[in-house]
Amino acid sequence: MKIRWNPIVKKDLQVTARSMRISWGLFAYEAALALAFLLVLAIIQEEADSWYSDNFYSYLVVLFPVLAVVQVCIVTLIVPIITASAISGEKERQTFDLMLTTCMTPFSIVFGKVMSAVINILLFVAASTPVMALSFVVGGMRWSYLFYFLLAILLQAVFSGSIGIFASSLCRKSIVAVLLSFSIYGGFYVLTALPPLISMIFGMGRNMGESALFLLLNPVVFFEEFFMLLMTGETMFNGTISKGDAGIVTYMLSHYNLWIYVSAGCMLLVSFLFMLMAAWKVNPLHSGTGVRKKK
Amino acid sequence: MLYINDLTKKYGSYTAVNHLTLHIPEGDLFGFVGPNGAGKTTTIRIVCGLMRANAGSVQIGNISAAVGSRKMKRLIGYVPDFFGVYDNLKVKEYMDMYGSMYGMSSRDIAKLSDDLLELVNLSDKKEVYVDTLSRGMKQRLCVARALLHNPRLLILDEPSSGLDPRARVEMKELLKNLHAMGKTIVISSHILSELSEMCTSIGIMNRGQLVTAGRIEDIMKKISGGRRIHLRVLSDMEPALRLLREQAQVRVESVRENEVIILFDGEETRLAGLLGMLLQNQVLVTDFHREEGSLESLFMQLTGGVAE
Repeated sequence: MKIRWNPIVKKDLQVTARSMRISWGLFAYEAALALAFLLVLAIIQEEADSWYSDNFYSYLVVLFPVLAVVQVCIVTLIVPIITASAISGEKERQTFDLMLTTCMTPFSIVFGKVMSAVINILLFVAASTPVMALSFVVGGMRWSYLFYFLLAILLQAVFSGSIGIFASSLCRKSIVAVLLSFSIYGGFYVLTALPPLISMIFGMGRNMGESALFLLLNPVVFFEEFFMLLMTGETMFNGTISKGDAGIVTYMLSHYNLWIYVSAGCMLLVSFLFMLMAAWKVNPLHSGTGVRKKK
Repeated sequence: MLYINDLTKKYGSYTAVNHLTLHIPEGDLFGFVGPNGAGKTTTIRIVCGLMRANAGSVQIGNISAAVGSRKMKRLIGYVPDFFGVYDNLKVKEYMDMYGSMYGMSSRDIAKLSDDLLELVNLSDKKEVYVDTLSRGMKQRLCVARALLHNPRLLILDEPSSGLDPRARVEMKELLKNLHAMGKTIVISSHILSELSEMCTSIGIMNRGQLVTAGRIEDIMKKISGGRRIHLRVLSDMEPALRLLREQAQVRVESVRENEVIILFDGEETRLAGLLGMLLQNQVLVTDFHREEGSLESLFMQLTGGVAE
């Protein structure tokens, strides 16, 4: 069976591969990771003087999570920028109307845009392997962790990418779309953390109910769970919540160690919803008037 | 081929298209004429599925836009009044991308793309980046792109705007060729002289309404120049003028040395009678002809505006 490429993905990859932006982007990405690596190494080295000498190597295992977190942060910043300018960029180039007159559905256009951003990010992550591999030299890590990390970063790319594409569908100007996508993204961090925080503050140690379920959609909590699970096996929600602390659903997720998987599922679902909303918004037969300014 | 029924589009309180009803037969080269803001582009965008109408329907062949917009998109090739090209994409890749968007196989795209690029005289530019092409070439490429999926209806929104005279002639020839191949073509344009040379029929829009539509010759005959008669005499002008002024259906518009222009309101037989009467009265008539109406004069007469 022949795999049929989404034409948007193919075009975007062709165009991106020929631009200097990708080269400079890769250079900046590698440079940021290398700097983070050297910085952590320097801190460990400096601190090693006050430790017992045999502790130095055991502390080197923090290199992996630190580099991974740096990558997650970069991806979180880059993907919304790529996708937020995806549709508004097509509108600015006046190519979006042409796409809509073809047989592609608005959803396949939106999906193609998110996928091309995710593939671009995969290129960045793949290019970072040599730097990441340095953290394996010092030991204490399994190669499977790199695979899990790849899956997690893909999820993050899809999640932030779908927010970016949704913002792009709402705005005509790319810069406004980028700002809006960061606002929505920030809103997710804050709004999903608020209910459990309020519950904790005003509950004074009593049962916090199901308010913690909002955290399933919080990327910070997801990555905290992910890295803690990999590094120590002990996390905030992994078998640590007792029946009296929270509601039954939260307790079950914690008890059966399902939190991270359900969180990943929820983030994917929300991503899908954002893409659906973006597709709805860009469909000229659904949204507003679709008035285009004449040159 | 294209049936537009009672189409209405409003932007707030402003009515861009007002109960437009139009039928364009298969194989026609139809010119869509009207001043800026007449509603031409809005109508075209609704037909192409880029905008929703407030009321009315659009049908191509037997497919209605409301029920099968995807099927309908296969029937339409759209060339907008902008180029819509990408940096870093070659002509061949540009065609390939749009072919894929219509679900065509790579083999079909390659074959059709070669033929179409030859048709639009761009076969030597396959490996050239699209953004380096001239405006005329880009416009021809857009036409090739719009024809890639072999649509039954080709819609061009001001295809000659911004083109130099040579590129305009090339575009005109291309459209004539496509018409000769049997394509149904709708062109919206402001360049009336070009339309009158190319089109088989026209529709004139003004303030969202279709003022008139039909074959160019019929419209001309019906409305414009047909009323104005040029008369040249060899003898003295006075008797001729006296006789003409006595006729109730005649109004003398202007008089020059040996020529008079009259406005005649009447049937052909009465016009022949007028000539006969002049000859009977020994007026030596050397020329007696109906003024040919131009699309410009027709446009101005119907829209009350200035032809561009």
